[in-house]
Amino acid sequence: MLQVSDLQAGYGGSQVLHSISLHVQTGEAVVILGPNGHGKTTLLRAISGLIQPTGGHIELDGRAITRLEPEAIVAAGVVHIPQGDLLFPEMTVLENLLMGAYRSDAWGARNKKLEQVFDLFPPLAGRKRQLARSLSGGERRMLALGRGLMGKARIFMIDEPSLGLAPLVIEQVYETIREIRRTGLSILLVEENANHIAGLADRVYLLEAGTLVREGTADELLQDEALLAAYLG
Amino acid sequence: MDALFQAIYSGILYGSVYGLMALGLTLIWGSLRMLNLAHGSLYLVGGYLAWTIIDRLQLPLVLAFLLAVAGAALVGLILQVALINPLLGKAGWDSASLIATVGASIVLESGALLIYGPQVKQMPTVVEGQFKISTVLISNQALVVIATAVLFLILMSVFLRTSRHGLAIRAISQNMDAARLAGVPARRAFLIVMCISAALAGLAGVLLSSIFYLAPTSGFVPMVKALVVTIFGGLGSVKGTIWAAYTIGLLEAMLQVYLGAGWALPGLFLFMIVMLVVRPNGLFGLGEVRRL
Repeated sequence: MLQVSDLQAGYGGSQVLHSISLHVQTGEAVVILGPNGHGKTTLLRAISGLIQPTGGHIELDGRAITRLEPEAIVAAGVVHIPQGDLLFPEMTVLENLLMGAYRSDAWGARNKKLEQVFDLFPPLAGRKRQLARSLSGGERRMLALGRGLMGKARIFMIDEPSLGLAPLVIEQVYETIREIRRTGLSILLVEENANHIAGLADRVYLLEAGTLVREGTADELLQDEALLAAYLG
Repeated sequence: MDALFQAIYSGILYGSVYGLMALGLTLIWGSLRMLNLAHGSLYLVGGYLAWTIIDRLQLPLVLAFLLAVAGAALVGLILQVALINPLLGKAGWDSASLIATVGASIVLESGALLIYGPQVKQMPTVVEGQFKISTVLISNQALVVIATAVLFLILMSVFLRTSRHGLAIRAISQNMDAARLAGVPARRAFLIVMCISAALAGLAGVLLSSIFYLAPTSGFVPMVKALVVTIFGGLGSVKGTIWAAYTIGLLEAMLQVYLGAGWALPGLFLFMIVMLVVRPNGLFGLGEVRRL
């Protein structure tokens, strides 16, 4: 459903991504593994329109979404859960979630979606009226994921959900992501640590210095410890 | 005791109107990160339109009120489309937007001077009657002004807390990227914010000039006071702005009553300087993240 061809992007003249081509099929969970600073976040930001690609082509179900405004890309169904959560710190948990249903085609179903999100993340239900800035790291991550689920996502792009969390919390977050995946939502996730993505990824790409250097099924690539050690250290 | 009562009465009157002015400034700051120095001119647009419709055209009060506020919103819309939008996303946004809004304010004030002349205009009394509590004279008109201002402050607060677009306006001020990823169309949101902000300034203009006089330079002092309020309340914070408006309004009224009218403005500025030294993020400012 998502098709990225020969994508190039960067920040103010310095190129970060060199000719990235990848695809995600409907219902598939694809993980891009790569060390920090090699362009994982830039790739997701270029797909969701937060930065303008300098070259290449992005399609969703055959429709070009390259260089659209972020709001138009969201409208097409690409939901991006950015690194560092990017919450609305002075809004309550409930208000943050409601913002996930901002689009007029999602607003009507907001109460039903709220129930689903609270089922998936019970701790959030108890903190509805609390300001987002008062949440713990794990709760913030849950809120960011929950906010993404409030809309009409067709593909869920998650930027390093393990970042800055304690091992136990990382395990919980990934358990919920596996649960989200079981609902049939397509997922494109970037991650630094190969250990987290077992049981989630169908296919894996390895990203190094702005280029995808390997592609394979999770079964192949995640078994190859020598390969992973070479790329991820 | 009467002096204190007088100060509280005036303070609530000023605070209510400053609240409207300052809320407009802070909404613009929150979404566009722009200090709108044409805000006082939008106050002027509201005041003069209301005067024209009531005094010259002799149309009903409610119509004058609605047209004046809508007129200010329209001028805000034109400013945004013709002046601010072309600057968006270009280098030097901070200084360019500041200079552009100063330019707009000069054009609007000069326009008022050309059309209405330098003479002071006085709105006819639209609500008759006054009464005394002890020695303090309270006019019914001022009470209507306070009630209207408070009504609109409450409406704005409810709008920003509960409606889809209100939430989006707050979201944009707290995290632009996250708001866009939620699907908020940034440019359209800016336009809505500018219209609301201009309407609030126009409303303040209608209300305050129904009590005081109106001249082409009348917008400046309310804008400066609104600026003091937004800095005191913590730029971008809605709750802080409303609290700050009443605090500043009361402070000004106290200074007038106890020290004399001449002390009001210098006193407020002294207060602002002290505030900036001891609490640079404002009363409700919560550090860098909150302020920007």
